[in-house]
Amino acid sequence: MTGRLIHSTTSLCRSCKNAVAASVFARDDGTVWMHKRCAVHGAQEVQLSSSADWYQRTRAVRPRRVAPATIKQPIEHGCPFDCGPCESHAQKIRLPVVTITSACNLDCPICYVHNKNDDAYNMARADFEKIVAHLQTDHGGELDIINLTGGEPTLHPHLPELIELARAHGIHRVTVCSNGVRLAKDEALVARLAALGARVALSFDTFEADADVALQGANLLATKLRCLELLDEHGVDTTLIPVMTRGVNQHEVGRIIEFGLQRSCVRHLEIHTMTFTGQSGASFDRAGRISMYEVLQEIERTTAGLLRPDDFVPSPCAHPLCYQIAYLLVDPAGGPPVPFTRFLSRDEIYDALSDRLYLEPTARLEDAMRGAIDRLWAEGGPEAERTLGLLRGLLAAMFPSERPISRAEALAAGERAVKAIYVHSHMDEDTFDTERAVDCCDSNCYPDGSSIPVCNYNVLYRDKEAHFNQTPQPWSAREGGQRTFPARAHVLPVLR
Amino acid sequence: MAPRRLEGKRCLVTGGSRGLGRALCEAFAHHGARVAFTYSRNQHDADDARAALQAAGCEPLVFHGSVADSAHVQATVAALGSAWGGIDVLVNNAGVQQILPIALLEEADWDSVMDVNVKGTYLFSRAVLKLMIRARGGHILNIGSFASERVIEAPVHYAAAKSALRGFTEALAREVGRYRIQVNMLSPGLLDVGLAQMLPRHRIQEYLAQGSMGRLGQARELAEIAAFMVSDDNTFMTAAKIVADGGL
Repeated sequence: MTGRLIHSTTSLCRSCKNAVAASVFARDDGTVWMHKRCAVHGAQEVQLSSSADWYQRTRAVRPRRVAPATIKQPIEHGCPFDCGPCESHAQKIRLPVVTITSACNLDCPICYVHNKNDDAYNMARADFEKIVAHLQTDHGGELDIINLTGGEPTLHPHLPELIELARAHGIHRVTVCSNGVRLAKDEALVARLAALGARVALSFDTFEADADVALQGANLLATKLRCLELLDEHGVDTTLIPVMTRGVNQHEVGRIIEFGLQRSCVRHLEIHTMTFTGQSGASFDRAGRISMYEVLQEIERTTAGLLRPDDFVPSPCAHPLCYQIAYLLVDPAGGPPVPFTRFLSRDEIYDALSDRLYLEPTARLEDAMRGAIDRLWAEGGPEAERTLGLLRGLLAAMFPSERPISRAEALAAGERAVKAIYVHSHMDEDTFDTERAVDCCDSNCYPDGSSIPVCNYNVLYRDKEAHFNQTPQPWSAREGGQRTFPARAHVLPVLR
Repeated sequence: MAPRRLEGKRCLVTGGSRGLGRALCEAFAHHGARVAFTYSRNQHDADDARAALQAAGCEPLVFHGSVADSAHVQATVAALGSAWGGIDVLVNNAGVQQILPIALLEEADWDSVMDVNVKGTYLFSRAVLKLMIRARGGHILNIGSFASERVIEAPVHYAAAKSALRGFTEALAREVGRYRIQVNMLSPGLLDVGLAQMLPRHRIQEYLAQGSMGRLGQARELAEIAAFMVSDDNTFMTAAKIVADGGL
């Protein structure tokens, strides 16, 4: 092995998922690789990034850590075996994920969860209410977002009631992940979601039939488009979630972004890099692995430079290698959107985001935007006039002079004028890095107030839950090997 | 039982279909006044306000138009002169708020805010004064804002407009005092209606942190203060500015 050591960390063996020491090297060709050796399963390596320069610059950004309000587990085995959160976890939950059902109406080859349709689990309202209560307490009574997932959450028999409950607790954004299959056929449900102010996070991976089958096991484009028509018609705020897979759909990322920017209901795009976990994803061809930086480059290439890698900033609420975010001012006149980095420095955007995963009209943001407006006005520059016009439109939408609107309406109006592109890179056992895991802000949440960071959950915990598996694995079971913890039998939080 | 301060008074409130304007109409009706109001944009709000007043036993006269449109102003005052034979109270409440930094503040924005907030006050006051001078009495109350009080950041055109109303109030009071017409100004702080509904939370928190009372004002509280200011109980106050902002 040749190369320059960037850092050392703890990862997992790809076979037995035991913790192993790992080193991350920059190779002479500029790529970044993780090397590790399991005493039983030998040496392993995986490429983490196509650019050592980007990797190091990005990793050098320190997350703004706010420790979890409640620690549920002492450190016994070390990350990621003590979730959670354990005493070593450094970041509070910014994106709470609640898995409300095990039922699903698809069987996607890239599925990274475990579904159970026979005797399906559907979270009880009382349990959901406990989760909301814990989260609110941990967040000082004000929560930006809660994400309901599954399975396919629209199959939960009481989904509207759960959303209603979350909205009644004043949560700013209640998002429902969906494959769109039921929504495309059930306009009444779409109308109900609209009335409840829920948001939909719609998986949308491709426009191409072959890729559709490869990724989702079916031709779903017409279904997705019908679903989006209904979401548009009923004004449901929508996030598109494409999963980028090398050699399958990476070339479509620009088209999907442009499609999302043009749809009026779409507020955000959250682009995931393919992760190899779950009932199907674990066995998906790992040649499909693509790194965060490669996706950013592909975005530049396929959007004709509309967005460049430097237009993305890491989220301060997470490890910088996990989330990259770009904000764009949308031009209602049809002109190209303007990335925030064209009028704000990356530091200003990073600061404005420092409290939250999603942009909110905070004092920091207001201050940064005012500075940008003054600079554009006084100093001019390319596109200054058009950008000032767009910023004026943003203010007029959020603070209309004709009639006061509610704060929620102002937030929604702001999100129609400013769209966000997130690139989110999950980890699997190959790429697992405890340095990233301890700064994770996305967690699967349980009624007893415990939570598990999502990558830890996907890699180690999900297949142990009886709610989501016909044959849940015992804690000691690992794919290809076993590990028995001597001190106590680990009990998953959900079973406590 | 609270006194009915405005029994039989003929009161016109501009911009009375929502927010503080609507609270003024309702409070005046509660105090026994006959109420008319104008509105410029939202028919639905006007219908709601009318229904609320009717439910309280008051049959309001409602006029649609912009306070910056002199034809609308003349027609409204003429109609009220015919219907009521005069006007005892004018509240210049109609206003427009626009959140814009100076860099984005175009001439048209400036003109629009000045037209509604300042010119509208001038047009209605001048039209109504004819009736009040004939009657040798009346009250004009101009609604100002804490935005002109140097205690908080505010858009410059809005602050300038509200500051202009202070000069207008003082000068007019001096000029028409001889006819026992009292002209005053009421400057509310941030209220539970209107702008506060959509301001970002940090702005509200900043306001609450600076205020002695630690809360937003309620429109009905301001309306009660206004009811006193335009009533016969107010026997000596004119050219005055009352600031009701929770102690900024």
